[in-house]
Amino acid sequence: MERSADYKASGGKLVRIRLTEEAGHIRSVRITGDFFLIPEESVGKLEKMLEDTPLREQEIRLLVNRFYSATQAQGAGVTPDDFVKALLATREV
Amino acid sequence: MNLAVEEAIPRMVGEGKAPSTVRFWHNSNTIVIGCFQSAKLEVNMQACKETGTEIVRRFTGGGAVYHDSGNLNYAISLPKGHRLVPDHNLQSVFQRLSEGAVEGLRRLGVKAEFQPVNDIQVDGKKVSGAAGSIRWNSVFHHGCILVGSDLSILGKVLNVPRVKLEDKHVASVQKRVTTVRDELGRDITTKEVRDAIVGGIESCYEVRLESGVLMKEEVRLAEELYQTKYSRLEWNLEP
Repeated sequence: MERSADYKASGGKLVRIRLTEEAGHIRSVRITGDFFLIPEESVGKLEKMLEDTPLREQEIRLLVNRFYSATQAQGAGVTPDDFVKALLATREV
Repeated sequence: MNLAVEEAIPRMVGEGKAPSTVRFWHNSNTIVIGCFQSAKLEVNMQACKETGTEIVRRFTGGGAVYHDSGNLNYAISLPKGHRLVPDHNLQSVFQRLSEGAVEGLRRLGVKAEFQPVNDIQVDGKKVSGAAGSIRWNSVFHHGCILVGSDLSILGKVLNVPRVKLEDKHVASVQKRVTTVRDELGRDITTKEVRDAIVGGIESCYEVRLESGVLMKEEVRLAEELYQTKYSRLEWNLEP
């Protein structure tokens, strides 16, 4: 099932999620938007890490936090919590 | 080619092969999208065709901006650890390296203020957006100042999602931006604005800028980046 959400982060930036869900799990996901995240290549890593993750808050929050500590990624206009909320917002549409 | 030069300079500065650099430039009709943006979602392709607007992706994040001969772009490339931006925090980089442009605009009589995350605004309307990165052992910041741009095209070629405009209490992107010309109520050239920004940078950062041209190696790297990246549809339009 295709799911999408356009989520406005607390810093005002937009996080746009387009994902494919199967049996409650993320099969593939594309994260786009006008936020800042360095190193820039890390967004692709986050997308890859999210594959096969249950579309549930606890698991997604754990994974996003793991992503930040593993990559030392630094954002502007977007926080780890914004990515979690944007992903979960796809369930509401 | 302009976006390829944008990448070539901080790479060379980071390698110690070029000095700290401020570059001014402008494009003909072009939409420049941020590196994380989806061209298909952000840009009205049909309107771009009709208005002869090109679409190019830059290597930094942030939102889409419309370039035409009525805007002025500036880019600052510094080696990592430079005294102006010692703490490697991207938000601090935006703030600190926007100050020169803010001061330059104020010298012209524009009541410009930095507005986090990355805007320069006048009475709540955006007159310049900035983007940047810390990579290749360099700190890079670039901004796009709307001097006398055609804002009617801007409204046509950009798709701005409703959620983005909601808290601004405006119905379109066109109504939340302004130009230096409109703020001053007179025609002004990009050269006049550039000279003011140079003055703003020199006084804010206590530096002296010297005009110059790209080094041969910067040109060679920019040409290579243009061939392998910035001229390619897969970079500019995917995903």
